[in-house]
Amino acid sequence: MLSDIRVTPAPHISAALSTRRVMGDVIIGLCFPLAAAAHYYRWFALTLTGTCVISCVVTEFLCNLLRKKPKAVQSLGDLSAVITGMILAFSVPPALPLWAAVIGSVFAIAIGKMVFGGLGANIFNPAMIGRAFLTASFGMLMTTWTVPATMDKKMPQISASNTVAMTQATPLAWSKQAVKTRNIQDGGRVPVSTANDMLEDLFRGQRGGCLGETSAVALIIGGAYLLLRRTISWHIPVAVLGSAFVFSSVCYLINGTAYASPLFHLTAGGMLIGAFFIATDPVTSPLTGTGMCIFGAGVGAVTMLIRTAGEYPEGMMYAVLLMNSVTPLIDKLCKLTPAGGKPNVQ
Amino acid sequence: MPALTTTARYRFAGGVHPPEYKGLTEDKAIKGGPAVKQVTILLSQHIGAVCQAVVNKGDVVEVGQVVGKSEAFVSAPVHSPIRGKVKEVTLASHPILGRCPAVVIEAHEPAGTAVPADFAEDFDDGRFTGQQICNAVALAGIVGMGGAGFPTRIKIDPTPPKEILIINGCECEPFITCDYRLMLEWTNKIVAGARLAKKAAGCKKVIIAIEDNKPKAIEAFRSNRQVESCGIEMVELKTRYPQGGERQLINAVLGKQVATGGIPPAIGVLVMNVATAAAVAEAVVHGRALTHRVVTVTGEAIAEPANLYAAIGTSVGELIEFCGGLTQKGAKVVMGGPMTGIAIADLSTPITKTTGAITVLTKRQVGHAKHEQQQTPCIRCGRCIETCPENLNATKIAHAVMHNMMDTAKDYYISACIECGCCSYVCPANIELTGYIKTGKVLLAKQNKKIPD
Repeated sequence: MLSDIRVTPAPHISAALSTRRVMGDVIIGLCFPLAAAAHYYRWFALTLTGTCVISCVVTEFLCNLLRKKPKAVQSLGDLSAVITGMILAFSVPPALPLWAAVIGSVFAIAIGKMVFGGLGANIFNPAMIGRAFLTASFGMLMTTWTVPATMDKKMPQISASNTVAMTQATPLAWSKQAVKTRNIQDGGRVPVSTANDMLEDLFRGQRGGCLGETSAVALIIGGAYLLLRRTISWHIPVAVLGSAFVFSSVCYLINGTAYASPLFHLTAGGMLIGAFFIATDPVTSPLTGTGMCIFGAGVGAVTMLIRTAGEYPEGMMYAVLLMNSVTPLIDKLCKLTPAGGKPNVQ
Repeated sequence: MPALTTTARYRFAGGVHPPEYKGLTEDKAIKGGPAVKQVTILLSQHIGAVCQAVVNKGDVVEVGQVVGKSEAFVSAPVHSPIRGKVKEVTLASHPILGRCPAVVIEAHEPAGTAVPADFAEDFDDGRFTGQQICNAVALAGIVGMGGAGFPTRIKIDPTPPKEILIINGCECEPFITCDYRLMLEWTNKIVAGARLAKKAAGCKKVIIAIEDNKPKAIEAFRSNRQVESCGIEMVELKTRYPQGGERQLINAVLGKQVATGGIPPAIGVLVMNVATAAAVAEAVVHGRALTHRVVTVTGEAIAEPANLYAAIGTSVGELIEFCGGLTQKGAKVVMGGPMTGIAIADLSTPITKTTGAITVLTKRQVGHAKHEQQQTPCIRCGRCIETCPENLNATKIAHAVMHNMMDTAKDYYISACIECGCCSYVCPANIELTGYIKTGKVLLAKQNKKIPD
């Protein structure tokens, strides 16, 4: 009965937690926006997400083989590649050709994660690396926005074969136009109310935009799930949304006719998916609570800076990548002090 | 009027609440341990200098006779729990040190131990002076029985002056119920011990702190006349591990923080475990040396889990056998609880003054990943930081130790770690953070030449 006893350091029991379970929770959270995407973009949502997930998983598998990992399959079990695939799919236009999605996925996993040494060692959010690559390489495809299937009854059911769908400008593009034309006096001026009036559609998700980021309601439910399950801590979402809110409020108060309302900015574009699912990636965000707050505040502020003063209508991706790069610095600055204070002698 | 009872107003930061598993033994009254043929008295059962054997092979020893002592200031003598003959003075398995000198004694007539009765409720401490109490405690070789094993004589010294004595009845580790049973069965003895310790140390106030998962123990003290008449206070704490840790307990009861690297007397506090208090009472009143203690032998695999009043020096294997052996395969034998206890490989390892439990864990309880020691990469989720009661960056320290970056480990306050195990407990990647930190401390001590290579 006691032939095979083992000796390891204490503690000898552990909480029912594993990396796979943490990642699984994120996947469940991502299923809410996925459902919304499937509602608005029909088959696009499922084929695009499926393609990205499968290519991410296959890429990780091949990288593991290349690295001659003894248990090549094991690192797939942590499900992190699935999340990368889902987030990448959610942050590209719904009608993106599948070959482009495959390229983005391969780049995200191979260059964004595996060259650094795999899960836990990557500096940048892999999905955002993939998206940045796609934006740089296929600018046109990455800014062609499909109209949700629910918007136009005359439009045929969008299927994977029907890639020539109706397109329209996203709400953020309208808000950008309003900013850009704010000094034009005659009829060429785009009123910011065009953007502000879209608030209801933004909440429901009935608008053009990236696949998974259109429905604010679905993202908030997914985010709430993660917060309730304590998969993510409140620091980053609160800091991202808080700093974006403050930033946009200041702009709105300064010039309400050129800058969109704070509520618009919080629900438009990638703000919510960024705050709940992308910036909260534990690997690429700081460890401590204070660090997370600084990181989140930075993400929100940089996003808003790009939206209001930059050339691009949306800035979540660059904001996350930029803040990822300073995460080690933030960790260094936010060193914890022991509960009993600093010791007198080391 | 029942004693003044309050609910703790403070809460220490971090911590976890693992499943308690106390149901296995909490209703089992303390019973006498096995009639041992032989005991192995380890000469290091405490923090401080290792004792020197003062008996030789072939000597006849009586119950309570000193078999090892040291002249060092921080040390405590060890005694024989039985009447018998010294078989040999040799090296024996030690739960922490690996091997340690020990005195092996063969019993003349193996006899079971009767559990001593509780004191009467009208105990009078006026008979003893502070000096007498200190001397009796020193002679009896009493050490902190909650696990740390710091010699009690030094703790209860009137210098430096102390204000408050906290009697620690938290027993926050899963499985263990030895202190719980003592609180129910030896209530008077514990209170008597607390009063004696208070007198010796010159404390002004005594607080008994118990977690709220032990309502019967709280009631036992609350309805005790002695507690009431001596103005002893009761504090009920919200159950949380590691509340029984002295630093956390002081924080939860008084809202005060002991400085990093400091000791409780620095802020005028003395913390004493309930079992230690009972031992103090027995030593002072009956002159009884610390030769027996209550050990919880527990685990789902044990046929009849029990709280045993066993002779110190009894082997782990004998105790498990006495409890009917195992009914299913055990994966780990732990001296102590599952959070801080030491896993042993040698069942002939004897129990010491600080062994509160023998816990046999099954593979299911250990968990597959932990049993197979499958560690995955750190995903930097920060759970270890969130649960650290000392607010340390466990993952940073552990990884620094892993890569032999001892300066970084020091820089992140490795020495402030209390080794409670919360970080390893919550780690989703199953990294043995506490294990690495412990290793790091040993490496640092070797670097500083505090211990030989």
